[in-house]
Amino acid sequence: MAAEIRGRHPGMTFVGRWWVRMLHGAPIRSVAALQTALAVRLSDVAAPGGPFQVLCDACQSLLAVDGASVTISNATGTRETLCASNQTIALLEQLEYTLGEGPAHQAYTTGRPVLISDLDADGTPEWPTLASSLASSLAGTSIAAIFAFPLQYGSARAGTLMLYRATAGRLSAEHLANALQIVDLATGLLIGLPDGMDGASRDGPPNSYISLAPARGRVHQATGMLMAEFTIPADQALSRLRGHAFATGRLIDDVAADLVASRLRPSDLGGLGG
Amino acid sequence: MSDVPSAAARESALIGTFADLVDTMVDDFDAVDLLHLLVERSVQLLGVAAAGLMIADQRGSMQVVAASSEHARLLELFQLQAAQGPCLDAFHTGQPVLVNDLDAVAMTERWPVFAPEAVRSGYLSVSAIPMRLRLETIGALNLFSTRPGALTDPDLRLAQSLAHAATIGILQERTLRRHEILTEQLQTALNNRVIIEQAKGMLAHAGKLPLDEAFTTLRNYSRHHQSRMSDVATALTTQTLEPREVLAHRGTRSTTE
Repeated sequence: MAAEIRGRHPGMTFVGRWWVRMLHGAPIRSVAALQTALAVRLSDVAAPGGPFQVLCDACQSLLAVDGASVTISNATGTRETLCASNQTIALLEQLEYTLGEGPAHQAYTTGRPVLISDLDADGTPEWPTLASSLASSLAGTSIAAIFAFPLQYGSARAGTLMLYRATAGRLSAEHLANALQIVDLATGLLIGLPDGMDGASRDGPPNSYISLAPARGRVHQATGMLMAEFTIPADQALSRLRGHAFATGRLIDDVAADLVASRLRPSDLGGLGG
Repeated sequence: MSDVPSAAARESALIGTFADLVDTMVDDFDAVDLLHLLVERSVQLLGVAAAGLMIADQRGSMQVVAASSEHARLLELFQLQAAQGPCLDAFHTGQPVLVNDLDAVAMTERWPVFAPEAVRSGYLSVSAIPMRLRLETIGALNLFSTRPGALTDPDLRLAQSLAHAATIGILQERTLRRHEILTEQLQTALNNRVIIEQAKGMLAHAGKLPLDEAFTTLRNYSRHHQSRMSDVATALTTQTLEPREVLAHRGTRSTTE
């Protein structure tokens, strides 16, 4: 990569080459670096390679998998794959779409991760047609292990992150921790709960959607209050919370604390002006 | 405040707990109901003031998933231990951490935030029992008492059995896919807790109740209808069940109260 850049940009300084390397996507070496890269992409939507593509590509090195994809879904069965890091997993997503079954489908409909470390040994009772299709459709490439995670916030489910490996083997504890943090990042891109809420350093790992830390617990409860007030699902309630926080220049966790303590009424967050 | 139960009351409670635990393991259920059952029974059986269950989030931290009371202050005290405390220590070492006197200087030195906070809330002793799965610790059972002196045998042994039951309840099956099942179960239990928190908020607002009463209402409704708390909470948060239906059960008490 470095030699390539030097070749294309003779005479460029070291700092200049570093910038070009950053823009062209050097391998991302940690979840924290991924978080930063995503933030950069979000602040410049015109930049080539949207945040989801960055996320999918980063999975390969961060999780020691051979491919990753993110698909959004809804309750009526509509699916759209936002990114796929290679042809193999793109094909797997297409197969799922065609057959209406598969690991990502299962993860989305059940809200549970689907972890198949060895496709041959573990068996795939939930998607037998897809499993047999995999062998014939993908001659020359092999999918030996699949890990699919729902992207969800409570009962609001937005889609899935799916990973595969060409060799069988389970995710190590470290790779699992990274994968779950990347799941949190992907969920954040879709549902939009900002990180760094609990006073955690913005340089630290992304805040988990399943955190019950006091400030985050109040966000869950405040979300519920808004859901009851307006009869809306969780992701819309979160949108209102976020909108109000932004409009009033306050942190989400402070708005949530006010709602839970009745210093603020859910009805005060009605309407677009929120 | 709990008093140490009489021998007869304790035996009756033990038999009842054992029967309920076995029932949940035989029938179709989810871990969330089991974990809530365990923390409630821990308080009754062990004569402690409060019990809480924390599980690993597999991202490097722990989260509280069940507590004997949903008072915000108590939940915060449990959740505080994700950063420091006997629960975290038990999780890391895989050994019980038994604290006889939280007010002692050595405890404040060891846990400078947790110890004073716990004492301020009226708790003088803590027993943290790890949830072990072979070589791995997946969480811990926290028991707080308003009296000095952590658990000793036979209570300690019983607490370890309860923690073990919680571990089995989460894993549910002995299988070669143990690690995968564990991850699936833990992550689902954690997300279910978020749904329950959202449902608490819904019921609290709709019924103009404090949050802990909202939880009790949810739990009573679930038991009365022999449904999983997670299912009822999911139905509420997906608008397939209306808050007022659940709130109508506010006056009733389940038989286990």
